[in-house]
Amino acid sequence: MDQSDGLAYDQAEAANSMRERTIVENSLVVLLQGLHGQVTTVDLRDESTARGRVVNVDAYMNVRLADVLFRDRRGRVSRLEDLFITGRNVRYVHIPDNLDITDTIEKQLGKISRMRNYAGDRGSKKKKTNK
Amino acid sequence: MVVLKSVSPPTDGVRHEQAETSAILDGKGLGCGTLYVAETRLSWFDGTGMGFSLEYPTIGLHAISRDLGTYPQEHLYVMVNAKLNDENDAEMRENAEDGEDEDASDDDGVAGDDEEGAISEIRFVPSDKAALEPMFSAMCECQALHPDPDDEDSENDFEGEEYDVEEAEAEHGRGGDIPSFYTCEEGLSSLNSEGEATLSRLEGMLARSVAQQFHMAGVRTDNGGDFEDGMDVEGGSAEAGQFEDADADVDHCTSWSPVPSPNLKE
Repeated sequence: MDQSDGLAYDQAEAANSMRERTIVENSLVVLLQGLHGQVTTVDLRDESTARGRVVNVDAYMNVRLADVLFRDRRGRVSRLEDLFITGRNVRYVHIPDNLDITDTIEKQLGKISRMRNYAGDRGSKKKKTNK
Repeated sequence: MVVLKSVSPPTDGVRHEQAETSAILDGKGLGCGTLYVAETRLSWFDGTGMGFSLEYPTIGLHAISRDLGTYPQEHLYVMVNAKLNDENDAEMRENAEDGEDEDASDDDGVAGDDEEGAISEIRFVPSDKAALEPMFSAMCECQALHPDPDDEDSENDFEGEEYDVEEAEAEHGRGGDIPSFYTCEEGLSSLNSEGEATLSRLEGMLARSVAQQFHMAGVRTDNGGDFEDGMDVEGGSAEAGQFEDADADVDHCTSWSPVPSPNLKE
């Protein structure tokens, strides 16, 4: 990526991340993002399962797990160090029993809106003056 | 179909290139070659220029496997939601079906469970095991560039970017496209002139109905009580008086007849 592409690249990135943020703020993916660092099981569409530590979940429900026990649809088990599951292939993500769902969602939304304010290029909407 | 033969390696958008990488497709070794992790597709080509490409939407998952008990070499594992053959390549298809123990070409009666029962497994074995992590990361990045186009839930609701009041005003003038609802001051400042006129008219109608205790389309106005839309309307207030000249465009409201509005001072 040379220098002249830098600005266009950044704008595209910004547009993408805004789009992703919109998706996250408006769907339950935000709950999955609260699972970072936790160990859980993901059931795939083909009925294989993967149990591991959640490294990342993005707006498209792509799930990245670490230290995974993977059981394929035939029941064969293998260990995978790092696993990336395409969102389309996810059937279920198990939510750990000890997780407070509402609290997690609220915390995640809080983080996102604080990040938006830190970005500096967006003012707070509440600063608009009255008519 | 995801398999292409005799296609040249991608030249731009290549996030990672790994030479001396063997490819094993559904248990069948294809030899040693170079893996290209490009933004548009994942490709692998052997020394003679033959190879294959995978489109990211067809890739179900990818992973780093260091479990030598499962497979004797550390490798990058890729599961593809398709049978990797094409009509022209009978040999490849035949070999896939003849595949060895570890392949997953089990279509017999399984297809009924899922939409796409056929999968293929590919293992990329680099000679440099330390390259597995950058290979994996590059694939993660490229995969994220290809969100599922069939995903109704996340696509239909968000036609544009998240709405930012200031940005919209700067770019489109007052108003712009408003895909969301506002209450109170935030909304007032986002109205264009048409919106303001509409708001005026609606407030005028409500104010008049409050003042004269008419029933309008299911809204009870006995004591100027709460309106669920959050608009504050006080009968006889200065606000209502602004709209004396509002058109009585009330074709839809058969129980209301136009009468001169009360003469209110502003």
